[in-house]
Amino acid sequence: MMQANRRKKNALRSRSEIILRSTVAAALVIFFFAFYFIPILIAFYGSFHLWNPLKGQFKYTGLKNWQTVLNNKLFWFSLKNTGLFSVAAVLARIVIGLLLASALFSRLVKAPSFLRTLYYLPTITPMVAVAFVWKNMYDPQFGLLNQLLGTKINWLFDGRYAMPAILLLTVWKDFGYAVVILLGGMYSLPMDCFEAAEIDGANAMQRFFGITLPLLRPTVIFIVITSFISYFQTYIPVMVLTQGGPGTKTHLASYLIFDQAFSKYNFGYASAMSFILFIIIAVLTGLSFKASGKNQL
Amino acid sequence: MKQLTQRAISLVLALAMLMAACGALAEDSTIIGSTIQYDTSKPVNNGEEISIEFWYWTGADKLFQAVADEYAAIHPNVKITLVENPYDDYWTKLPLALQGSDGPAIFNVHNSYHENIIGYMAPYEIPVEDLEADFVGVSAHIIDGKVYYTDYGMMTATMYYNKAMWEAAGLTEADIPKTWDEFREVAKKLTIRDENGSLVQAGFSFNGGAQGDVLGMQYQYGQNLFTADNKVSFNNDAIKAVIQRMKDIYEVDGSGDYNFGNNSGDNFGQGMIAMYLGWGFMHGLFQALWPETEFGSFEIPTPAEEIPYAYHRYNGESTFGVNKNAPAEQQAVAQDIVRFFLANDALQKRFVLANSVFPAKKSLAEDADIMSVSSIAVLASHIDRYIWPGPMPSAVENNMKIALEDIFYNGADIETALKNAEDTCNMELDGSEFVSVEPSYAYASEAK
Amino acid sequence: MKPAKMKSIGLNAVLLIFSGITILPFLWMLAFSFKTNAEISALSQRFLPRHPTWDNYANALTRMAFLRYFFNSLSYALVLSVITIYTSAISGFVLCKYRFRGRKLLFGMILSTMMVPGVVTIIPRYSMMRALGWLNQFQALIVPSLFTSFGIFMMRQSCTAVPDEILEAARIDGANEFYIFHRIVLPMLRNAVASMAIFQFLWAWEDYLWPYLMIRSESKQLLSIALNMFSGRFSTDYAGLFAATSIAIIPVVICYLVFQKQFIQGIASSAVKG
Repeated sequence: MMQANRRKKNALRSRSEIILRSTVAAALVIFFFAFYFIPILIAFYGSFHLWNPLKGQFKYTGLKNWQTVLNNKLFWFSLKNTGLFSVAAVLARIVIGLLLASALFSRLVKAPSFLRTLYYLPTITPMVAVAFVWKNMYDPQFGLLNQLLGTKINWLFDGRYAMPAILLLTVWKDFGYAVVILLGGMYSLPMDCFEAAEIDGANAMQRFFGITLPLLRPTVIFIVITSFISYFQTYIPVMVLTQGGPGTKTHLASYLIFDQAFSKYNFGYASAMSFILFIIIAVLTGLSFKASGKNQL
Repeated sequence: MKQLTQRAISLVLALAMLMAACGALAEDSTIIGSTIQYDTSKPVNNGEEISIEFWYWTGADKLFQAVADEYAAIHPNVKITLVENPYDDYWTKLPLALQGSDGPAIFNVHNSYHENIIGYMAPYEIPVEDLEADFVGVSAHIIDGKVYYTDYGMMTATMYYNKAMWEAAGLTEADIPKTWDEFREVAKKLTIRDENGSLVQAGFSFNGGAQGDVLGMQYQYGQNLFTADNKVSFNNDAIKAVIQRMKDIYEVDGSGDYNFGNNSGDNFGQGMIAMYLGWGFMHGLFQALWPETEFGSFEIPTPAEEIPYAYHRYNGESTFGVNKNAPAEQQAVAQDIVRFFLANDALQKRFVLANSVFPAKKSLAEDADIMSVSSIAVLASHIDRYIWPGPMPSAVENNMKIALEDIFYNGADIETALKNAEDTCNMELDGSEFVSVEPSYAYASEAK
Repeated sequence: MKPAKMKSIGLNAVLLIFSGITILPFLWMLAFSFKTNAEISALSQRFLPRHPTWDNYANALTRMAFLRYFFNSLSYALVLSVITIYTSAISGFVLCKYRFRGRKLLFGMILSTMMVPGVVTIIPRYSMMRALGWLNQFQALIVPSLFTSFGIFMMRQSCTAVPDEILEAARIDGANEFYIFHRIVLPMLRNAVASMAIFQFLWAWEDYLWPYLMIRSESKQLLSIALNMFSGRFSTDYAGLFAATSIAIIPVVICYLVFQKQFIQGIASSAVKG
């Protein structure tokens, strides 16, 4: 019924709508074609070559790079690592983000703007600077973490703990992102719903799950999808903390890609890996849109 | 009267020193240098105004400022713009800039990135024979009869030891070990554990970055790093013996522990460990960051008393590169700066001391100031017994790092880890044009 | 009343403890910025500096044209933020509220550009800039970032909260679509705009590799590049890095404070309207 209604209205589109729509669509097509698709296509073409643009090498090798990637055990291991890492990081981001944002949103908190600012500090501190501090915290002899926990773990060199250590730094660095977006979303919600619910005697829990969360759905979906996309491409925390070690325990797919491109200068090989990663991310994103319901796309 | 004579004598002495320093055999005081000479009275670019860019990386600002200042003092018509770059990304930006015509005319070089920049470099105009007359190690840099850059110094690994700990353990100069067996005994004496058996002070540590040291110790057994067809060789008896010994020092002797500090260089400076095998640059770092830690150096031990095939690997600190795509008049100035730098012993000395490297310039081989640096001095007796494998692609060190961590931290067995690393490395080197220069080592025929 | 107060105190305590743990590494960095490199690398560490020194700050300010880089970065971040917020809002609105052929495909393609690792496209983009003759020019930083997938996606999601009825009502009143977007939709997106401003400013401020590759002359250099100049080949000047970082984050904090306020004001104004 709604659908039919909408169609009818669409038939009566105004001139201004057509102008606005066509201008924006044309600008988007031109822009993304020029600055994204062309470079992406060049990189894709490069994946069939022995390609080192720094020394001007571009030699056709057919499917060789792709075959090497598909037969590379380390790449598949890194993908598995990436998947686990991303799921954990996204979950942590959403849960911590929702908890903190709703706490700051509730009227129970004193000095919310002070706390909000504190929570944003990790996000804005450049990684080059905090990496040193975190390495210090993970030190097996004098690190703060061992002192707090009363343990004697060599966090960054123990295969069992190195990945969680990288995850912890990532969560610490990034949770402010979710808090900012969720708070923005919460403050946009219609206030009357809450007031009505409060009058109806709903408790905080019921209000959160009954009203806040459903209304925040588009925001949460946005965070989940953008986080997945970016965590699948994470390499900086690996680079600064472990360089993929001990051994290959903390190799993430994007670290491998970065390493091949900018340390070994095998750009063709790095491209082939990038497009496999791209396919995986695209499929997962498509699935999450599907799972989140028709209305979202 | 007495004062006057004293002054006269000191003047004469100063002049003599100046002449010696400049190596000026000719009467003409405007010429510096020995075989490679630089005439400061000759104008550059016909004395007309010209400006060029000179790119270098962070950490070397004072050195490059000195070159620019001294050169500008002689040639006021040349304006040198120094452009500082972060080390890592310099190696992306530089080759890309060199592809165009507006790249820097002259730039700082590191041989690890040889492959990506050699195609953009112009050969030195100085004849190769002249270079060879003044510098050692030039032969490894000759490509089709031309030299595009060479070394001003050679950096290698020496053993650093903490003097206070050495004394506290009752050791003297006479105890400085020559062989690895002696070394292990000394390391045991330098190890301190508390009543629970936990380490308080390690006799020796190689934690964090041992790959640079392992890739070089196989030469002590006469084993080259690369095969005749430029493939890397990790999985051989020499490297296995080296790694087994490292394991034994920790696991059998108990002189150290994989989890006792993660960065042996820092940990040595901090006074956690008594001996540390480190590269030349650590000398300056120790002095700057841990001035209270008194340390000395001795040459890397060897498996047996006699002189080995090579003590270790060295890596050259490179002289500047000239951009072949720069405008001709800029290239001419760049070539002139290169000549100025190579002929100028005072600048050479400054660069050598700043990086604690063994001087490649022959006239500096016995320089008293340079030889007062302990980590350089210990190399003097057989600097010819250090070998350069060539500009190794980073895949070699990266894969050795993975193998060593798998062995030391993930419990992998030596054979499997080395075999995996060797296979991966050779796969990654597939597209590389790297050529080993091990065959041009003076004692190459002694290799096994 | 009493249990509510208890709850409030408990909640505040938990939040405070959490924030304490969270900002510890940050405070540590701040404390480091007043120490010498020797103290930073020493074995025995304590939180507060033994001999607090302003030298690191003085050095950071004099070592390079810090202030010039600072203002270059500031103008770059401001210009880019304003542009991308506007382009994202209008694109998000069009993609959300209009039904037209190829809409889903267009949105899908925009989104997909986020999924290809930038590592492999950066060099082709560099070659494009060189071909256009834009190297070392400000437009090389701005033009390739005129639109952002992230921003478009974010605005599109936020537009779903704008009821169609309001737009229809305006149309019936004879408003054209430009008026509707600028006067009705954009104000309703104020919280999304604030969130995006916070991030876009931060990202432009932190942006490093692309500006580094593009910009040659020192007079146009950005602060993020200067921050990377503290890492040398053998060691890093941590004291200098920490001091410079501490100064460099101030504009980001200010931007954050300004736009966070939007959230609260937004709620106040909608409450009045409601």
